[in-house]
Amino acid sequence: MKKMVAVVAVSLLGLAACSSTNTSGSPAVPGEAKPAAAEWLAKAPVADAAAILPGSTMEKIKKRGELIVGGSLDAPLLSQQNPVSGEIEGFDADMGKALAKYIIGEPKVKIVNSASETREALLGNGTVDVVFQTYTITPERAEQVAFAGPYYTSGLTIAVKKGTTGIAKPEDLNGKKVIAGANTPAIAAIKKLAPKAEIVTFGSDPECMQALKQDRGVAYVQDETLLIANAKKDPSIEVVGNPFTQDPYGIGLKHGDEQFKTFVNDWLKKTQSAGVWQQVWKNSIGTVVQGEAPAPPQIGSVPGS
Amino acid sequence: MSVLLDHLPVIWQGLVVTLQLTVASFLGAAVLGVLVTAMRVSPVGVLRALGTAYVEAFQNLPLLVLLVLAFFGLPEIGIKAEPLVTAIVVISIYEAAYIAEALRSGVNSVGKGQGEAARALGLTFRQSLWYVILPQALRTVVQPLGNIIIALTMNTLLAGAISVVDLTEEAKRINLVEAQPIPIFVGVGLIYALIASGVGFVTGRLERRLVMVR
Amino acid sequence: MSSLLFDEPGPRARRRIRIATVVGVLAALALAALAVRQFAANGQLAPERWQPYATWPMWRYLLDGLWSTALAAVVSAALSMALGLVLALGRLSERRWLRVPSAAYVEVVRVIPALLLVYVVLFALPKYGLDLPLFWKLVVPLTVSNAAAFAEIFRAGILSIERGQTEAGLAVGLSRGQTMRMIVLPQAARRVLPSIVSQSVGLLKDTSLGFVVSYGELLYSGKVLASYNGLVIQTYVVVALIYLGVNASLSKLARVLEQRSRAHA
Repeated sequence: MKKMVAVVAVSLLGLAACSSTNTSGSPAVPGEAKPAAAEWLAKAPVADAAAILPGSTMEKIKKRGELIVGGSLDAPLLSQQNPVSGEIEGFDADMGKALAKYIIGEPKVKIVNSASETREALLGNGTVDVVFQTYTITPERAEQVAFAGPYYTSGLTIAVKKGTTGIAKPEDLNGKKVIAGANTPAIAAIKKLAPKAEIVTFGSDPECMQALKQDRGVAYVQDETLLIANAKKDPSIEVVGNPFTQDPYGIGLKHGDEQFKTFVNDWLKKTQSAGVWQQVWKNSIGTVVQGEAPAPPQIGSVPGS
Repeated sequence: MSVLLDHLPVIWQGLVVTLQLTVASFLGAAVLGVLVTAMRVSPVGVLRALGTAYVEAFQNLPLLVLLVLAFFGLPEIGIKAEPLVTAIVVISIYEAAYIAEALRSGVNSVGKGQGEAARALGLTFRQSLWYVILPQALRTVVQPLGNIIIALTMNTLLAGAISVVDLTEEAKRINLVEAQPIPIFVGVGLIYALIASGVGFVTGRLERRLVMVR
Repeated sequence: MSSLLFDEPGPRARRRIRIATVVGVLAALALAALAVRQFAANGQLAPERWQPYATWPMWRYLLDGLWSTALAAVVSAALSMALGLVLALGRLSERRWLRVPSAAYVEVVRVIPALLLVYVVLFALPKYGLDLPLFWKLVVPLTVSNAAAFAEIFRAGILSIERGQTEAGLAVGLSRGQTMRMIVLPQAARRVLPSIVSQSVGLLKDTSLGFVVSYGELLYSGKVLASYNGLVIQTYVVVALIYLGVNASLSKLARVLEQRSRAHA
């Protein structure tokens, strides 16, 4: 027995040694949020002590000293990790920081990377406090989670390879192969507006782009912002027409936590009136979309919010 | 489970794709696996080295990485195939490495005398491998092969990453609308378990019939 | 034994083999050159597409992912080997109440995709008040599923030890437990070492399921990088090479260990 344990231990040590040599000298990615110099952050409001009700979710977060946000690491412009700095950048990420500052006084955020399939569970069991992740408010979802907001409205649009003809609106997609991101609202939207389209899905935006360039489909349906950014980076792609959906993004909260929902909605109003929302937009989405920041959507204006 | 029943037609479609993937990949992997095994015991040094390199490479790469690389990389060198075809070819190539490894251990387990006797009878390399060694090797590897087929069945769900709409992918799409992950994924898991138990049952029977009393 | 399947090739056969080898290698090289040319023609070899992977931050990010992969793999391998050994012994036990549940565990878990187990830990367990930290959301399902595989490996190893060994152990007055521990297991462990390592390599590859639970392992890190720099093909090539390097060294280690233990035996 001793011998066998030794054998197993040796092979395990081998495993460990082998991996540790590979990472020697590599410190953990500097995850500590270095004080962002962004001016919007300085302007971002902090809640009155009276608003942090005893026994409330916000009190819990304040005591913890960190807001746990369900989000993405791989959504450019919205919530994308920068491998060089380790920082997570984008509109959603910055909104999370602003909310953290409102509750705690400092923009201390831990992003728990969540997938579309897991968001409801993560909120339900309290793994995350809030979700900022292009989380479209729908009445079905509102049965399982609560939504503050909407804090942003976006829409789906269509991108094609330059020179493609005959595709100007979603109905034109009927009978064609259409690329969409796995687990994105695009799938349901295409099914509804172009029921005869054949939908092919890929796990990430760059994969969808690669597929479009390799003619795996004639069109790629995705959030307008992302597509505009893509077309900017890659001149062989163009965006056709205007957004054909209105997707109100909400801040996902635990179902039934009305107190916290009111609190988050108050914060949203304050960040908007302080001009912070607009500046966050300018820093992220505004770097590819021209013009001034749009008017933020009316809070509570959609069914489910 | 009623969520799944509401979507029976698409579940059925997904199941058909999963079965296609499983059966076609297994056939491909079996042919390739025998070929690679033959290479590994052949008289030609280069072939032996190639066979070994093949097994080494494909046993050491995650299938998901291979799928994505093949799907996006091959068109860039002028080879483009349908997603389903790409998935079947890649899964075949991947699982062939495991089959080759199992077969080789089977070949090694066949008594030395068998090869000597075959040679003494004047059989060629191909004949002795095909008529004497492989049939006996197969007997000892029915169980491991069964395990490989079961693993292959489960592995087909990775084809979703390259836009093949299989059982798991249909389930994910249903969940996107219904947001009821537990009944959906448990139900689909049961279907996989059923397929795999079917395979396990057949190989178990086969093993009992083929195993020689020594 | 393979050499017994054919005669040592004579001078003519050797010449033919050599010619065929040269022709074959040349043909392969020509094909490879064509592929590379096409690849370059599509701009995939452009320096700026590879340049990011010549920089340290990208590698640091990937190596960080590799570290997470290794950590999950090592912990899960250790736990599933321990559980697997218990299950194997249980399945070989003379006591029915140990044998039946152990066999049932192995047979049931074997036919359930690991991804589904991940989903169970992710979605179902929290509903019953068991919410594991992120790391364990990956490690627990991997352990549950790999324990069945390890159990079968150990069982096969124990069964492969000649009965005479057990009989001899009992004959010199050892108890069943002592015989198992002191005589059978050490020999069995040596025999199944290659299978154990190849199963561990499989487990390491399985950690790529971590992307489902959003555990930042190697493959997931690759995905984040690809979305940051938009280089899908290049990123996956680099990730594939890392997996290949790590797993090939593991397999190599297995062979060395195997030879060494054979030399001692």
